[in-house]
Amino acid sequence: MTHRGLTDAGPRGDFRLAPISLCVNTQTPLVQYLGNPDSGRLEAASRDPTDLTTLREGVDFQYSPGGVTRMVFPLVRRLLEAQVVGEVHWVALNPHAPPTVRLGKITLHNLALDGDRMAGYGEVKEAIWGRIHEIDAARPRDDLFWSEAFSEYAYYNRRTAEVIQQLDRTHDFDAFYIHDFQQMPVGHMLATVKPKIFRWHIPFDASVFPDQWRALLATYLDSYDMIVVSTASYAESLLAWRPEANVLRLYPYLDPADYGRPSRSTVAATAKRLGLGPTDRVALVVARMDPMKGQDLAIRALEGLREEYPELRLVLVGNGSFSGSRSGLGLSKSATWRQHLEKEATARGVRDRVLFTGHVSQEDLDALYERAEFTILPSIREGFGLVAVESWLHRRPAIVTRRAGVAELIRDGVSGLLFDPDRPEELEKRMRQLLDDRSGRLRARLVRNGRVASRQCTLDAAAKAEEAMLVGATEA
Amino acid sequence: MVALDTVWGWFVPYLPVVVIVVLTIVIAWLVHAVLGRLMRPSTPQMAGTARRLGVVVVVLIGGTLALQALGVDPTVLLLVIGLLGVTILVALREPLSNYGAKYFSDVYTPFKVGDTIQVQGVSGKVIEINAMTTILLSDSDQLISVPNVAMIRDVVVNTSPQAWKEVVVPVSIGSAVDLPAFESELLKSLGKLRTRLDPRFPPVLTTKSRTPQSTDLVLTLMLRRPEDRDAITVEANKRLAELLDRMRGVRRSA
Repeated sequence: MTHRGLTDAGPRGDFRLAPISLCVNTQTPLVQYLGNPDSGRLEAASRDPTDLTTLREGVDFQYSPGGVTRMVFPLVRRLLEAQVVGEVHWVALNPHAPPTVRLGKITLHNLALDGDRMAGYGEVKEAIWGRIHEIDAARPRDDLFWSEAFSEYAYYNRRTAEVIQQLDRTHDFDAFYIHDFQQMPVGHMLATVKPKIFRWHIPFDASVFPDQWRALLATYLDSYDMIVVSTASYAESLLAWRPEANVLRLYPYLDPADYGRPSRSTVAATAKRLGLGPTDRVALVVARMDPMKGQDLAIRALEGLREEYPELRLVLVGNGSFSGSRSGLGLSKSATWRQHLEKEATARGVRDRVLFTGHVSQEDLDALYERAEFTILPSIREGFGLVAVESWLHRRPAIVTRRAGVAELIRDGVSGLLFDPDRPEELEKRMRQLLDDRSGRLRARLVRNGRVASRQCTLDAAAKAEEAMLVGATEA
Repeated sequence: MVALDTVWGWFVPYLPVVVIVVLTIVIAWLVHAVLGRLMRPSTPQMAGTARRLGVVVVVLIGGTLALQALGVDPTVLLLVIGLLGVTILVALREPLSNYGAKYFSDVYTPFKVGDTIQVQGVSGKVIEINAMTTILLSDSDQLISVPNVAMIRDVVVNTSPQAWKEVVVPVSIGSAVDLPAFESELLKSLGKLRTRLDPRFPPVLTTKSRTPQSTDLVLTLMLRRPEDRDAITVEANKRLAELLDRMRGVRRSA
C-alpha cells in the first residue's frame, strides 16, 4: 500500500510526492488466455494470484490486440519506470482468465460475467458504438437506456465499480483512470472524492446523441474530474455540450522504438508465405474486421483500378476485436463482416486481388508495411487511426478518411491524402495518384511530412502530458 | 437427581420471566414483519425507522413486564426514564428539531444537493444538507446556513429547471444485498413505469456514500406529468421495498 506525502528529494523537484497508486479500468484486458488444453499451465494459473511470467505467450496467453496493449500498457510501464506511479491495479473484463494476475508492479484483476448478462451488455455497448460511429441507421436505438439489456450494462459497470471500491479499501488509490465508453458509468458509480479521470478513445460528437441518451450520458461524464479526448474537434464538441468539464486533448500515441525495419529477405519470405508475388503492388489496410472500418470502400476502389493496374493487390490485415474473439467476449461480428467482404470482392470481380491475412504477428506486420506501396485507412468513422502513424513510422504514405481523428494532423497532399468515405470515387482517385507517382516525389513528400506529424503521437510526448495530468489531478 | 431438582427449584420462579422474554422476541419479530409490509408505499428509510420504532416499543413493554415478574416495581424506573427523556428533549430541543426536520426533508422535501432554492427570504444553490442545517451558496459567493427546521415549517421554492419532474428516493442497501444485481433488477422493474416517466431521463441510481456495512444511494426518477408525482413515488417505493425484501439475504453472486 502506498500513501502519498512528502518524501526525500527526487527527480521532480526539491521535494516530491510519493509515487501515485493508480487504478486503471478498461473493458479489454491486457492479456487474453488461450485456454490451450495441452499446456497444463493454466491449471497453475488458477492458483491465485498468478504470475504472468510463469506462463507462455502465444501458448497460454496473448496480449490483446489494439489500444490497450499499444497505448495503455506502454504508458503504464513508462509511468512506473519514471516512478511517477508506484503500483497499478488494472481491472478489466476477462471471462476466461484467473481472477488475479501479477506482472511486476501491475496487478491485473479479471472480471467474469455469465452468458446472459454478457449478451445484454454486448448489445448495449454495440448500440452505443454504432450510434457514435453513425452506422446504426438501419436499427437506431433511441430507447436503449430503457431496455432490459441496459440493466445488464449497468450490472457490469456496477460490478466493476464494486471491485474497484473493494480494492480501494486495501490500496487507498490516489487516482482512478477509467478507459473508454464501455466503462463510462463506472465514475458515477464510484463513491469517492479522489480524482477520477476518463479517457474517451472513440470519436466524440455530441450532436449524434439522441435526445433520450443525453441526460444519462451527461450524468456519467459530469462525474469525472478530467476527460481526455483524442483530438481538438472532440474537445470542442465536448466543451460546447458540457462547458463545466475539465477536458484534455491528447493525441493517441505509439513508441517509435517498437518500429524497426525488417531485412529484405524477411520481407520477401513473409510476402511469399502470405501469397504475394514479387511484382505485386501492395495497398495495405490494417484494421479489425468491422463494418465501421470500411474495408468495402477499398474493395470498391480496387474494382475501378483493376484494368489499369493488373498487378495491384489489396491486403486486408486484421481479425475481430476482444469483443469478437473466442478468448474474449464471443460477440462475433468479424466473421460476418469478412464473409460480406469476400462476397463483395467476388461480385466486383476482384476476389483474386484481395488477400485476407487475418491476425498476423508483429514481425509479419512490419514486413507487410515494408512490402506495401501505401496504406489506406478507409473507416467510415475512426476515433483516431494510429495505423496512419504506423504507416509514417514505416515510411509509407497514408490515404486517410476525413472522418478519422488523425485527419486533424494531415495537410491534404502534404503529409497524407484525404478522402471522403461517402464518395468512394475519391479513394480510387487518391490510390491512382500514388500508383502513378513514378518519380516518387509525391510519395517522398507525404512520408517526410507524415513523419514530422507523427512526432505528436509518440509515447514520449504523451507520457509527459499524462504524467502532468496525473500529478496535477492528485496534487490539486 | 437431587441436583436436577435443585436446578429446577431455582429455575421455577424465573419461568414467567423467560416466557415473557421469549414472547417479547416473537412479538417484536412479528411487529417488524407486519410494519415492513404496511410501510411498503413509504420510502425504505421511513419503513426502516417505523420497524425499528415498533421493535423498541415492544421491547420496552416486554422489559417492563419482565421486571414486574421479577418483583421489581417498574414505576420508579419508568419515572426516571420519563424524566430523563423530557430533560433531554428540552435541552436538545433545537438540534433535535433540526435533526428531525433533516430526516423528514430527506424523504419529503423536493430539493437535493445541487438544486437552487429560495427559503426564508434567501436563495442559493444547495451545497450541503447536514444533520442541523442546509448550506446554500448564494450568487454573490456567500455561504448561507438555514436551520433544517425551516425547511419543514417555511415555504421552500425550488427554482431549479424542471425541478417538478424529479422524484428522489433515498435507499440504503446492506452488505448482504448484491448491489449490482439489485440495481439491474430495479432498472428492469422501473422500466414498467416508463409510460409515466419522461423518456429523456431514464432512472438513475446514484451512490452517495458507502461503508463496508452499507451503501447509501439515491434513486432519481423524472416524471412526464406533475400530477403523477404521488402515484409514482408510492409505486417506486413499493417496488424498491419488494425488491429489497426479495434480495435481502440472497447470497452475493460471484
